[in-house]
Amino acid sequence: MKTILSLGLVRGLAWEILGTALGIGFVALVRALMGLPAWKAEPAVVFGALLGALFFLYGVGILNDWLKWAAGEETEDHLDDSHLGWRRYFGPSLDHKVIGIQYLVLSLLLMSVGGLFALIFRTELARSQMQFLTLNQYNTLMSLHGMVMIISILLGISAFMNYLVPMLIGARDMAFPRLNSFSFWIAVPAGLILLSSLFLGGFDTGWTGYPPLSVRAPLGMQMFFLGVSLAGFSSILGGLNIIVTVVRLRAHSMTAFRMPIFVWAALATSVISLTATQLIGLSFQMVMLQRLFGMGFFDPAKGGNPILFQHLFWFYSHPAVYIFVLPGLGIISELLPVFVRKPLFGYRWVAMSSLGIALVGFLVWAHHMFTSGMAEYLRVPFMYSTLLVAVPTGVKFFSWVATVWRGKISFDTPMLFILAGIIVFLLGGLSGPPNATISTDLHLHDTYFIVGHFHDTMYGGYIFPFFAAIFYWYPKMTGKRLNETLGKLQFWLIAPSFTVMSLLMMRVGLLGMRRRIADYDPALGFDPYHLVMTIMAFLTALGVIVFFINLIYTHFKGQPATGNVWNSRSPEWQVPSPMPVHNYDRELEVVGEPYDYGLPGSRYVKFHGEA
Amino acid sequence: MAHITKSAAFRLGLLVFGALAALTVVEFVLALYLNIWQLLLLVAILKAGLVLYYYMHIYRLFQADTTLDHNSYAYKLATNRLGLWLFFISDSFVFGGLMIARINLLGLTHPHLEQTVGLIVTAVLLISSFFMNRAETAMAHGDRKQFAISTAITLALGILFLIGVVGVEWQIAPFGPGDGAQGAVFYSMTGFHAFHVLTGVIFLAIVLRNGLRGRYSPEKHWGVEACAIYWHFVDVVWIFYYPALYLVGTAIA
Repeated sequence: MKTILSLGLVRGLAWEILGTALGIGFVALVRALMGLPAWKAEPAVVFGALLGALFFLYGVGILNDWLKWAAGEETEDHLDDSHLGWRRYFGPSLDHKVIGIQYLVLSLLLMSVGGLFALIFRTELARSQMQFLTLNQYNTLMSLHGMVMIISILLGISAFMNYLVPMLIGARDMAFPRLNSFSFWIAVPAGLILLSSLFLGGFDTGWTGYPPLSVRAPLGMQMFFLGVSLAGFSSILGGLNIIVTVVRLRAHSMTAFRMPIFVWAALATSVISLTATQLIGLSFQMVMLQRLFGMGFFDPAKGGNPILFQHLFWFYSHPAVYIFVLPGLGIISELLPVFVRKPLFGYRWVAMSSLGIALVGFLVWAHHMFTSGMAEYLRVPFMYSTLLVAVPTGVKFFSWVATVWRGKISFDTPMLFILAGIIVFLLGGLSGPPNATISTDLHLHDTYFIVGHFHDTMYGGYIFPFFAAIFYWYPKMTGKRLNETLGKLQFWLIAPSFTVMSLLMMRVGLLGMRRRIADYDPALGFDPYHLVMTIMAFLTALGVIVFFINLIYTHFKGQPATGNVWNSRSPEWQVPSPMPVHNYDRELEVVGEPYDYGLPGSRYVKFHGEA
Repeated sequence: MAHITKSAAFRLGLLVFGALAALTVVEFVLALYLNIWQLLLLVAILKAGLVLYYYMHIYRLFQADTTLDHNSYAYKLATNRLGLWLFFISDSFVFGGLMIARINLLGLTHPHLEQTVGLIVTAVLLISSFFMNRAETAMAHGDRKQFAISTAITLALGILFLIGVVGVEWQIAPFGPGDGAQGAVFYSMTGFHAFHVLTGVIFLAIVLRNGLRGRYSPEKHWGVEACAIYWHFVDVVWIFYYPALYLVGTAIA
């Protein structure tokens, strides 16, 4: 019991409850003093949730070092907390590897919650007419599925960027370990606040939260806005940390063009999350202010402009999809040479293509607004800039195909997920230009075609590479290798059924099925399609359950794997697993190209003093 | 600028302040008689450039490292600087987003505001930037007394700015936050900015307290430097917000 109470997480949650209560009380008090009726739910709950999040951070203990600095005290720089064992995963650890695993666990948790939401409303959609959900429940689950998954993805990429980037560049830790820990821990109250919207009336706007609907939605809307704003800080500060780490803490001999591709991808991703994320936060905060103080940003009756919201929102939310996929595409490029035993084709082009996608990604946002009634002359430039994204993405595809060409392929589980990722991302990529082209998009906008396209890009660009990365780096994290048979079972459950589902989504979309709606006309004849999609969704979920079984099985029965399991050239595999606390005890020296697999006698790294 | 003498550094700070003050007067007069927004933007960019270079020392970001030892103070100092500047870039997107909203909703009009108050708070923030720079220069040259005096003056001027905006301008403005697009734009822009000033004031109080207790030295005073460039960053934001809220175009009736 004493151990439980000493955990940062438990203390944080206790403080969060206290903070929320204080915040609600404070608002009631201020209102009473101003002579207004003391109880008004919306301002009280919003302020309470915000104060609760701050109290959570204090309770976890993440602010302690900063408060000491403010008081003029010195703190130690690298705290070795490995003596705490499992408990350090529940407290404010400064070790990037611990933080990476914390991110990973929270991401998997939120992914399961978001997936569960999808299963519930997918079941509702299996037949026309409403079966067991109310319309508001359907809308809330559908909206929350979107945003919970987005936050889960942001946490998932942070997991691998945190865990891998310092290791891959030969650093001991991130540039700002305390900020790193802060970035993780602020995501916890953010997730809680987001999910609390379920119990506060829900909301019905979809994950985009467009006004004027979001101005009128129930109280849950505010929790959605607040949760996303806080999660945004996690992404912003995490991105800042990655950029500084990559720029400043590389091993001395690691020149820019000898960095692993994943580091390039992390850098490109972080540039977007550092800058653009602020605008989704701002756009949501503006709606919050409109709801709280009647500020008429998006209210035409007060001289506001609803289209302005869409511009601010999509300025982040389109580049956001590149935040989601760039690390995944980086993982594909990183792992492919290992499993085909051949050099990565066109290293420099692949490295630059990540930055290219990131930069072009800033110029395409209004393609989401072709039907919104924005200025006509903006449509064509945004169409062309969007189509331009295909160029750097195509570079990556050519590189992958040329890398696999005539390789000695071994089909371990990570490789299977990588190959599925490439194929599914290709489906997602090819279904993109019809949405980017104005004439076809006017037809496809807001149909299930978009849903199919989007899920293909997310699975190909994130989910499959994410699972590949877990299987690949699991021995590094724990010293045990995940079970291959269960891994392959998981793969064959997820990959085919998901592909069928997404293709059917596009099919019904082309036939006129609207997205986001809770019900459809039986006369349209979509019932059989939706039934198959629902079955496929359950098979996918079964695959995820097999993955969790695999985690438990490996924990108890897994064989130790402490060596270079995949025969990789990368520096983290040249030392025993699990990784020592301070990564490398000797300085890393880069002596060759990173991906020269199959070339006899070539090396990428050696350690200082090594022959 | 440790390579020049203390008095020369103080003189430079005063000179830059003089230029900024002159440009502010030019800006105000331009707004009165010509009101061409491109000219106002040009003046604002000039002012921001002066602050970025002379007060925020942006060139320090591009100076080569004197050591490659990742654990040395000098290397960590440069790393911290990069981190803080990236934070400024990120923060600029919030302020930029609000500016976009202002341009979209108000165009070539500005909220109906009291010009005297605007000019006074702008002057207060500008003078505070001068003293902030003086405090940092003093610490870099080991003049602890001047550091303490200048930091305290900056702190007082920061609080005065907050009183001017929140305590005076918000109270006398003829519209509330819910009154039309001008209310939304004015209260959100000044509110976000005032929040940053408030955090800067807290930062200043911490730096002043630690400085009085001898926590900083001419060689190691990252806390002072961070506080100073953060304060100047908040000033740079106001350099663009002041003309956007008070000067550009015609007042809304």
